[in-house]
Amino acid sequence: MLQVDHVAKSFGDVVAVNDVAFSIPNGATFGLLGPNGAGKTTTMRMILGILQPDHGSLSWDETPVDGSARRRFGYLPEERGLYAKMKVREQIAYFARLHGLTKQLSQRRADDWIEQLQLSEYADRPAGELSKGNQQKVQVACAAVHEPVLLVLDEPFSGLDPVNAEMLLGILQAQQKRGTTLVLSSHQMWQLEELCSNFCIIADGTNRATGTLADLRAQFPTRVLRVSPATDAVSAVLDALPDARRLGMQDGAVDYEVGAGAPLPRILRDLVAAEAITRFEAIEPSLQDIYLRAIGQPA
Amino acid sequence: MNEFRTVLVAEIMRRVRSRAFKVGLVIGIVAVALAIKAPQLIGSALNRASHSIIVGGSASLNDRAAKLLSKDFAIEGVVSQPNAPAQLLTAHPKAGALVVVSAVGRGVVADVYARDLSFVSAETIKRDLMPLNLALATSASETAIDRYMNVPIALHSVNSKFASSAAADAAKGLAYGLLFFLYVSILMNSQLIMTSVAEEKTSRIAELLVASVHPSALLAGKIAAAAVLAVIQMASWLAVAYFVSGFGAGGSGLSMILRTVTPLEAIAFAVYFVLGYLQLSTVFAAAASLVNRTEDLGSLSGPLVMPVIFALFIAIYALGFPNSPLVTITSFIPIVAPFTMFARIGVSIVPAWQIALSIVINIAAVWAFAVLAGKVYRVGMLLYGRPPKLSQLWLAMRS
Repeated sequence: MLQVDHVAKSFGDVVAVNDVAFSIPNGATFGLLGPNGAGKTTTMRMILGILQPDHGSLSWDETPVDGSARRRFGYLPEERGLYAKMKVREQIAYFARLHGLTKQLSQRRADDWIEQLQLSEYADRPAGELSKGNQQKVQVACAAVHEPVLLVLDEPFSGLDPVNAEMLLGILQAQQKRGTTLVLSSHQMWQLEELCSNFCIIADGTNRATGTLADLRAQFPTRVLRVSPATDAVSAVLDALPDARRLGMQDGAVDYEVGAGAPLPRILRDLVAAEAITRFEAIEPSLQDIYLRAIGQPA
Repeated sequence: MNEFRTVLVAEIMRRVRSRAFKVGLVIGIVAVALAIKAPQLIGSALNRASHSIIVGGSASLNDRAAKLLSKDFAIEGVVSQPNAPAQLLTAHPKAGALVVVSAVGRGVVADVYARDLSFVSAETIKRDLMPLNLALATSASETAIDRYMNVPIALHSVNSKFASSAAADAAKGLAYGLLFFLYVSILMNSQLIMTSVAEEKTSRIAELLVASVHPSALLAGKIAAAAVLAVIQMASWLAVAYFVSGFGAGGSGLSMILRTVTPLEAIAFAVYFVLGYLQLSTVFAAAASLVNRTEDLGSLSGPLVMPVIFALFIAIYALGFPNSPLVTITSFIPIVAPFTMFARIGVSIVPAWQIALSIVINIAAVWAFAVLAGKVYRVGMLLYGRPPKLSQLWLAMRS
């Protein structure tokens, strides 16, 4: 289990991470969410031991994260590159060697990844000659070639076209199957919602919400009511509800956010009495809805 | 240790396979060979032209003058009363000049006709013909006059490393050459490190690397790899210099000079190369970790090279004044000491305690530079955007 225990990190006067805490069970896939500048990358760098926290601590299986633990971790940074003149096979094997694998095992793993990523025809070509998509495949291979127990991916989907995003999704699902603990950050909420079992939303370097999607929904107990037609009579009924908030229009329906405990049968009766409604839907909040509420932005 | 070894081997292989290294090695070898052979070839051609003459004049003086001039010139021919100097020189293409000696009163005058007057030394001709002039004036023989003109001088060195001025000059020349070699090797290889670090940062592979391997191991591996390649490069250049200058043919030229290198000088060269290289490469690597574009390296390396140029100037001064206060003091100061102390060792007897103290101070400086550079490198490799101000860097390093 990865335990991040109230870590903080400042650079001079700039507080990058103020107080972040969460734990990730072994084999879980964890989504780290937050707006730009929230402290996600700094938190990830602390997990990997690239940066040392000013306060708090990090441990893996109850042992402080140190150099030897780090060799078993993998990292795909947001800003990533390759040695342009180094051959693909050598490059992947080099990163395996850096993580302590023997020469023979490194070469075998490199070959396996090349085959898995369908890069065989490029294996002995310099990485700089590959297309951007293929370079991204090589970068993923470099991060995961040593079969890490924990794989940290910072905005892994950024800059990927749909085909490569699908390819990466496949790789991550394969990692999940082999029991790798994954930590991901992304602005694409639907991908995280699909991949992750646990989440942590941070803003201004501080935890805003942590847990499974069910836990987050419990922390932000709201529902979205979607009603058609979007007439004044419908709006008048919904506006009269305590804590109701108009979100906007979608497909000819009006969306209102209401409390999770709002009396839906009574609301439906009032709406039917006021208008000949054709649609009444109570929607569980999505990860994106919760995220926007958690960071203090209107949904 | 494994991380260090992995980085070391990978860096060596990466550099050895690079076109820049291969081209640099070949160009270096060719340049060294040319630097040795070209002056010999050009010099020999020039010498032939400037040292071959025809002697002409009155029949009674020609043989006597030719005998005296033969001390400094090859006599291509002796001609009586030549009347067409230009044609005569055309007929003797190896001769650089025609010297016509004539008796005037109780002495001689010489008219010199040359294709290029800069090839002929009037002073040498004057000195050579002086005994003939005095012989005519005093009726003594030229042999006697020549003997009277030579005063035997014995040189005795006191508190000097060298038994003769020729040996001192040779040592100074050798020290100058090795000093320049030291300067080029240290600077060139430190700049290689700088480029390598900047490449990793600008290609955005740096973060992936520092997540995989400790930054200190990464930096140490790169620096050690460049040192290994520098040694290979220098060894190849020295080997070429040694053989091209005539080692195979029994020894002449540079190979003979190289044989005069004492064990102390050889050890001092190796020690101060390592110390100077480690000091500069760590500073250069740290600085390179702060740039965002390889194009910025030029403006960054300028101020960093200045102290090295200053050190070279002091070291050249040290060849002439090895025990002056300025030279003595700077032979302990890091960055400068590898050059000045080496120059002092090459041309003077340096007290052992001074050499020891200089090495200790410079080893301590290497350690201090490595610690500082490691901190800057660790922070710098993750910094993108505008280069940080010194105050920001200091805060980041402390955090």
